[in-house]
Amino acid sequence: MSVRIRLVVLALAFLALAPAVAHVALALPGFGAPISPYGQAVNALLPDLRHVTNMVAAVNFDVRGIDTLGEECMLLCAVTGATVLLRGARGESGAERAGHVPGRPVIPRADATVLACRIAATLTLLLGLSIALHGMTTPGGGFQGGVIVASSLLLLYLGEGYAVWRTLVRGPVLALLEGGGALLYVLAAAVPLVIGRPALENILPLGTLKDLYSGGLMIVVNAAVALSVTGSFGLLLLEFMEETRAPDRDSVPDEEGR
Amino acid sequence: MSALPWFVAAWLFGVGLYGLATSRHAVHLVGCLTVCQSATYVLLLGLGFVDGAGPPIFYDHPPGTPAVDPIVQALVLTDIVVGAAVSALLLAIAVQVQKRRHTLDPQALRPLRPPDSAPERSSR
Repeated sequence: MSVRIRLVVLALAFLALAPAVAHVALALPGFGAPISPYGQAVNALLPDLRHVTNMVAAVNFDVRGIDTLGEECMLLCAVTGATVLLRGARGESGAERAGHVPGRPVIPRADATVLACRIAATLTLLLGLSIALHGMTTPGGGFQGGVIVASSLLLLYLGEGYAVWRTLVRGPVLALLEGGGALLYVLAAAVPLVIGRPALENILPLGTLKDLYSGGLMIVVNAAVALSVTGSFGLLLLEFMEETRAPDRDSVPDEEGR
Repeated sequence: MSALPWFVAAWLFGVGLYGLATSRHAVHLVGCLTVCQSATYVLLLGLGFVDGAGPPIFYDHPPGTPAVDPIVQALVLTDIVVGAAVSALLLAIAVQVQKRRHTLDPQALRPLRPPDSAPERSSR
């Protein structure tokens, strides 16, 4: 199909769907009016029921915790798929050694770059950990904190260069973080089942409001998500960077991937 | 004015869809898909907004003060992270397509053709 035909098909589909779209669009509530009683109920009830102040985290890790477990599995599947696709073509050989980009000399970093990146990477790492740890009280949580921690790995690469970065950031460690986080989540969901309660029921003591320990089982789930997201994004960084490089000892890149 | 968020969401979705339909490059395709995705974020966050309400985080102000809908925010939050990983998966597929078929144009791809019997274009 040429681009023109594709646009015509798109226009026909739009014409077919237009009445339904218009019907729904005209039924939309005005901007700024509460539409869902559930959200307001969560805001009203959960601070007392779960002793947490961050309602978004409470919804994610408790009210619809099973849904988040599903999303966690989607994350795991997507990252596994990307890793298998990239690594499968490359082969496992040389995966533990830093490769190089063919035809590009390795230029040592300026001292100022190295220093700035080390400071920035440390601060970013600490910020990410803090955001992940305070997920129950202030804005943040495992998802956001995990992504920030993983981006500190990128700063580390910027400062140290690829070869040193590969010795610091190990693929198996990241895979362990990712899988271990998902396993921790599944365990948090399964342990209440074992003692005869509904899955993911908050069986830990709830702690005190506004404290670092508040929310009971949500803390475990939050930590599991933080580990998993850190591992996932670190692994993606690693695999995509390795993809642009050829193994050091084998000068003929095996690109056909059999 | 009060309909502006809906128009932004519709415009983002339309732009993304137009890009998806006319795309000639797989990486561009993934970018268009994320634009469509952002339209859903704008729509969801707009649905959850409540006039004069604060964030659904009761650290500084006591529970009971008006706050926006936390459920849509939770949906958007998880979807941003998972969506990024799915984009990475799609880009990995694009890398594989480039390696096996030596093209990223969706137009030039024919399904169900073994890579070995690919036409001359793909021989390097």
